[in-house]
Formats: sequence, C-alpha cells, structure tokens
Amino acid sequence: MDSIQTEILDTLPKYFMEQVAKYGDKKVAIRQKEFGIWQEFTWQESFEQIRDLCLGLVSLGLKRGDKVAIVGDNDRQHLWADLAIMSVGGTTVGIFTDAIPSEIEYVASHSESVLAFAKDQEQCDKFLEIKDKLPRIKAVIYWDTHGMWNYDDPWMMSYEQVQELGRKLNEEQPDLFDKLVAEGKGDDLCNLCYTSGTTGLPKGAMISHLNFISGVEAQIKLEPRDDTDNQVSFSPLAWIAEHTLSVTPHCMAGIIVNFPESPETVQQNIREIAPDLIFFPARLWENLTAIIQIRINDSTWINRTLYKLFLPIGYRVADLVYEGKKVGPFLSFLYWLGNLLVFKPLRSQLGLERVRTAITAGAALSPDMLRYFQAFGLNLIQVFSSTETAAVGTQHYLDDVKFASVGKPIPCCQMKISDEGEIWLGGENIFHGYFKDPEKTAEALSVDEDGVRWFHTGDAGYIDDDGHLIYLDRLVDMIELSNGEHFSPQFIEGRLKFSPYIRDVMAVGSPDMDYVTALISIDFENVGRWAEKNRIPYTTFVDLSQKPEIYQLILEAVLHVNENLPPSGWVKKFVLLHKEFDADEAEMTRTRKLRRGFLTDRYGDMIDALYSDKDSIKVSAVIQYQDGREGVVETDVHIMTLEEDKIS
Amino acid sequence: MTENNNQLYVNGVSLSFGGTQALIDVSFSVRGGEILAIIGPNGAGKTSLLNCINNFYKPDSGEITFNGTQITKLPPHKIAKLGIARTFQHPALYTGLSTVDNLLAARHIHMHQTMVESILYWLGAQREEVKNRRMVEEIIDFLEIEHVRKATVGALPYGLRKRVELGRALAMEPKLLLLDEPMTGMNVEEKEDMARFILDIHELQDTTIMLIEHDMGLVMDIAERVVVLDFGRKIAEGVPDDIRNDPVVIKAYLGQEE
Repeated sequence: MDSIQTEILDTLPKYFMEQVAKYGDKKVAIRQKEFGIWQEFTWQESFEQIRDLCLGLVSLGLKRGDKVAIVGDNDRQHLWADLAIMSVGGTTVGIFTDAIPSEIEYVASHSESVLAFAKDQEQCDKFLEIKDKLPRIKAVIYWDTHGMWNYDDPWMMSYEQVQELGRKLNEEQPDLFDKLVAEGKGDDLCNLCYTSGTTGLPKGAMISHLNFISGVEAQIKLEPRDDTDNQVSFSPLAWIAEHTLSVTPHCMAGIIVNFPESPETVQQNIREIAPDLIFFPARLWENLTAIIQIRINDSTWINRTLYKLFLPIGYRVADLVYEGKKVGPFLSFLYWLGNLLVFKPLRSQLGLERVRTAITAGAALSPDMLRYFQAFGLNLIQVFSSTETAAVGTQHYLDDVKFASVGKPIPCCQMKISDEGEIWLGGENIFHGYFKDPEKTAEALSVDEDGVRWFHTGDAGYIDDDGHLIYLDRLVDMIELSNGEHFSPQFIEGRLKFSPYIRDVMAVGSPDMDYVTALISIDFENVGRWAEKNRIPYTTFVDLSQKPEIYQLILEAVLHVNENLPPSGWVKKFVLLHKEFDADEAEMTRTRKLRRGFLTDRYGDMIDALYSDKDSIKVSAVIQYQDGREGVVETDVHIMTLEEDKIS
Repeated sequence: MTENNNQLYVNGVSLSFGGTQALIDVSFSVRGGEILAIIGPNGAGKTSLLNCINNFYKPDSGEITFNGTQITKLPPHKIAKLGIARTFQHPALYTGLSTVDNLLAARHIHMHQTMVESILYWLGAQREEVKNRRMVEEIIDFLEIEHVRKATVGALPYGLRKRVELGRALAMEPKLLLLDEPMTGMNVEEKEDMARFILDIHELQDTTIMLIEHDMGLVMDIAERVVVLDFGRKIAEGVPDDIRNDPVVIKAYLGQEE
C-alpha cells in the first residue's frame, strides 16, 4: 500500500490518500451503472486510476498552479480527472455540458487552461470548432470513445492514452505521485468556478482546498456523514454545490459516490441507490409534490384511502416537531403505522427512503411545502449560500427549523448585515477573489482587521432575535422609503401569498412615502369556504371582501408576515380590493406578474388614501366583462390600519 | 472503406401488383461495407424493393444474391439468418414488451440451447443468457436508450421507438442493414442523432447499410452512393454530388420546368 505521511491534512488529495490507506481494496469508493449493472470501484482501484491519470497529465506538461478545463456529465472519470488535476497541484475549471463553443472558448481562455477534458464526441466537436482560438490548450482528453474512432487530430487524446503515459512515468519515478500530493498546500487553488452572472461575463471564483475543507468540516459537525453513506452525484460537477456535497465528503468522510448511468436515468438511479442526503433546488421540490399528488390520484382505491387517512396524522406530528413538543404515545403509534403503510413506501418510490437530510436552496419554499414533506418524515432544510462561499453559509439546524428564515450560519461561518442592509458572510470558506478581475473582487470581497475574509452577497436581509437570517431580496431590487429605510416588495408579496386566503398582493412604498402598505386581493374560493364554515353570509366578491371578519382574517396573515420583517419594512396599512387583479384589464401579465406601473396609476386614489388618515375610500372602478361590455362598480373600500401595539 | 464480401446483387428485378408495375427491371449492387441510399419520389418503389430483398414480396422476375447465395426464393427468417436485418417505416415492435425484451427477442437467431436446457436454466443456457443480455446492453449503451430499458415500448414516443427498432436490427448482428426511412417523423435533433448512430454503426462494425430516406440533406451527407428510382425504374446511380446535379433526377423530383 502506498501511503503518505502527512502531518496536516490540508488538501483534498491528502484526505483522499488517507482513505486509500484506510480502506484499500476492501471497500467500495465509487459506483457507476453501466450496461444495466452497478459497477463497483474500490479505493485502491480509484487511486490507481487517479495516479496514472495524474502522472499522465504531468507527462503532458501540467505543472503546479496550471488550470485544466473539464466539460462532461457526472461520471467516475470526471471525479478521477478532478482529483488527478488537484494531485498535480492544478486547478479544475468546470464548464457546464450545455455550454456552446463560444462560452467554452471564453472560460477556457480566460482561465488560461493548458489542458482540457471533454467527455465525448459532442464536447470534443465543440473544442475542435474553436481549436484556433485556444492556443494554450495542449491536448483535449476524452473518456467516452463513442464515435471518436476516426478522429485523427493528435490534439485529441483518449483517457487511456494519457494513463498509459502516466504508467510509464510511474515506472521511472515511483515516488513522484506521493511527492506531488505532499507538496500541496491548503491555500492552493483547486477550483475555478465560473458563476453564470445574469449581467456581464461570467466571473471565475477562486476556491482553495481549505475553502472546501473548512465548509464540509463544519457541515459534518451538524450532519455527520460516514463511510457507509451513499451519495448520488447528479448536480453538474461544474457547479460548486456538487463539490461540497459529493467530492469533498468523499475525500474527507469516505462517503460512497454513485454516478448515474446517463443524465436521463437520474431519477431511476436515485431510487435504486436510496441516498442518505439529497439536494434539490426549490423548484424541484415543488414539482415533486405535484408528482406525488398525481401518482396518488392514479393509484388504487386502497392506496388513496390510506393516504387520505394518514396524511393528517403526518401533519399533526410535523406540527409538533416544528413546535419542539413531544409526540404522545398514541399519536406515535398511529404515525408508526402510517409510516409503515404510506410514508415509507412513498419515500421509497421516490428514492428518498434513507434520506436523513433533504436540502433545498434557491427560492423560498412555502411553509405548506416544508410541512408536507415533514409529514412524510423528510427533514427538509433550507440552505443559503453561493459559489463564493464554497456552497456553505447559513442553513436550518435540524432541531431549529424556522419557516421564514434561511437558518443560522454553520460553525465555520460568520454573518453580519452591512450598513446598507447587505448580507455579508465571513470565514475560512470564503473564496479568494475573482480570477483576473480585481475590480469585481474589490466589490465582493473584503478582509477585516482579524484577517477574516467577508463575501458581500449582494442580497438584502436581516438577523432576527433568535439569530436566524431572514433573506429578503437582491439588494438592487429593494425599494427605499422617505425615511431612508429599505424594503422588498417581492418578499412581502411572496410571503403574504403563502396564506391560502390571499390570491394577489401589491406592496406599495416609494422614496416619497414613509411606510409600506399593501393592496390585497382575496382568494374568493378559499375565503368563501371559510366564511361559510364560520356562518358569515355574503353575496358577491365585493361584499365578501369588505366584511370586517375577513379583514380580521387577513390581518392575521399580515401580522404574521410583519413578525419576520425588520420594523422599517412592516406593512402598516392595507386594503382588501373589491375585485381580483385581472390580466384582461392589463393589471397583470399573462404569466400573472404584476404590472406595477399600471397598477400604481389605476389605484392612485386608493394609494393616496393609504397615506392619508382616511379609513375608507369610495371606488367606482370600470370593469370590463369578458364579453367586452363595460360596467361600473361603486363601493366603499375600507382601509385597515394596524394599531401600534399590534405592530410591535 | 475496405471492401468486405457482404455484397448484395439485385439483378433485373420486376414486381407488379395486378396491373401496376411497382418495379421494372431494377439492377444494382451494394458493395460490401458501403452506405447506399435509395431515393425517389413517393410511389417510386423504394419500400417494395426492400420488401423484395426480405422476400416479403416475391419478385415476378429477376434474382437477388447476397454473399453469393441466391436469396430470391428463401423465406424471410432464413434471410435474416444470413445476416440481413431491417427496420420498417412504421416501427414494428412488440409493443407490450420492454425495450430489453424486444432486443433480446432479436437475439434468438444466435441462441443455440434446447428447450429443456432453457427450462432447467443449466450452465450453458445461463451463460448464453448472460452473453445475450450483455450484447443487448451494449446496444442500449450505444444507442443511448438506457433510460427506457425497462419501459414498455408501446408507450414510448415515436423517435425513441425508431431507435429501439434500430437496436433490435443491430441485436441480430447483421452484415447488411436495411433501413426504411429511419428518420421520418423526427425533429432535427433526433434526425442528427439517428444520422450519427448510422455512421457509428458503419464505422464501428463495418456493416453494409442500405437506407431509404426522404431528407435529401441527410442522404447527401451520409450516403456514399445513391440509387434513384422513379415509377419503378432505376433512373440514376452514383455518388451524391453527381446525383445532385443529374438533370434526370432533378426532373423526376421537380417536374419538367426545371
């Protein structure tokens, strides 16, 4: 067994070699499905692959500090290439598989890559198209030989050819690989991660070994991961999260990484492996709820009945869990039964049977959604992070989930809110700047007097009394009030719409107003049902919307949202509109996005009244019926003012 | 491309349905290891020609030889055994079976075990099953249909069904592959994939390929030689560039004015 003596484990290859020394050929390191069978590779096999490839790269002239571009699907060869590059002391530059040649050209030449990995014919053809523009790149290495048989350009090399070179070098200098690994340092760059900026050209965030290591070390403290854990690697490896969830824990904790057969089989492969940790973006979790409901409806009568019977029990347990209360013995028994009959089989169908930690990121998931998955026994936690923070930052702790927040900083990380209301994250995991872009680096990165690197996220938020971070919006989308405070209309609207009784909202506020108000349109169906249940008679939408009881109902929702806002952003007054926002009247776009300018004009009088001391306003709105006729509705719309004591 | 001896000779083949002459004295040859395209306007007799090679139709006169064997009188299954596989304009698969089973079904011509052996699933039978499954899995990998391995073929979209059908033809390990409009009803991306697969099959296995296709751009890109039929007669034969500029072909496709 080749083992290396390292006092400090500060690079991923050093960690990897420690696992190799520990497990050798006795334990599986990697699996990939091929020809319909899960093929297994032990740590020793994995090590030999990496060593040969690494030395092959050295033969091709790769040196410490060089960059290597990789574009390809999640395959074992991708991981091996990543670790081989790092072992030389090089930096991996991930490129998304759907990148077009001009994008590849930009990233490969900006990063000054000297070699490239391209999975297959499709990706190789892209490189051939831009060959003249990439003079630095000495060779393009492919690992899928399909269709590559008749390529005679010596610029293209197969994985095996490179490994053959490596084997020769290993015979000549058997200590070279160990030496290369031992020379690595924690502050060496190991990944240059190009962020897909929505504006301007992509920027290459420089990530060091210690960035990953400190982040994952902290995560493991919260959520232990060990060598029996299975991970399915399906998020693009060009994306930082996959490094934090798969590659780094593979090296540090010895988790088994499973690669799907092809991008199309990911769902099936997840089901076969049943991973211990799963990360989906918020939109995918939303899709999943829809899928579950559709499948239940298509299922047999007995399944549907059991689902209807046990889901409320799941909800009751979920609520108790969130409140931190104990679940009684009888309910526990029912839940055990429900788990046996419904929840576990359902999780198993989706490949989520063994999931201990389910992660969501991106847009905020509604509390309903979190509750729904909790009812199934899935602990869904929200993570707030970015490429520049090595994909760790704040997250929900399992025993401390708060719907409105994005959690607390994990142990390696600190947070603060700047004077402009911007969220800053600091710590060992924070990146080292954007490659060759001092201007953007200066905007996004600062080092304080203690030497802590702080990343300026560009996001607005605030820290609540429990130390939870509340994410509001992108800083540029915040609106300023006359008193200099900022608020986020999208945040308020999004959170208010979590209430089943609210269909649409427009939050109002501008530099010449000193507080926030809202125009709310009720959900006629749900509010109507609530009114019937509570024996409140009503005739039309107009009538229902102006009932004092309904104002009380909506007031509760507004107060609830205010609880999660800094006082400057509180909604102080609102009206319940006498009608719904209507795309036919150009109040919304066809995709139901508010047309703010138009609405501000149309409801100008009402908005003026919200900033006066009136408590109602007469409206006579022209309504266009769907057959084209026009009618006029005249009514008094009440203005609800939140009393000071209720606000605070 | 190197010549191999999987050559097909079509010699003076005529076929009629009642008073309609579908093929009139058609002669040409397919060289071993080439890609030959048959083109022609609708009703020119292209599919009839393939059906004659398969012996789904019996030509009124003329003869067809493959690899030196007269195949005009052989029943279709014997022709398949000689190494001629085909796909159809409209996929003809076992719609109730999965992709894997459809492909395995095509392996039967390479199976040797007896019924008793298969029932007892003894060593030999087991080995053969594993070997055949391995072969099928390689085809699945090759055609990138892993995600529908276990899916019922009847429920698959059209483009995928065509791919499965090509897979089934490949599972026979053919020497000559007859493809009847492999790209009809596909979008541009699916067509490009299919063209890539056809070229890959040709490159990798040196299979002789004869295909009928309407998409002229694709035909001109992938075929080495082209035979043009019009109203049952062969009106031209040659390399794509010559065919493209042949006044007789242009007339057949575009009419007199041109």
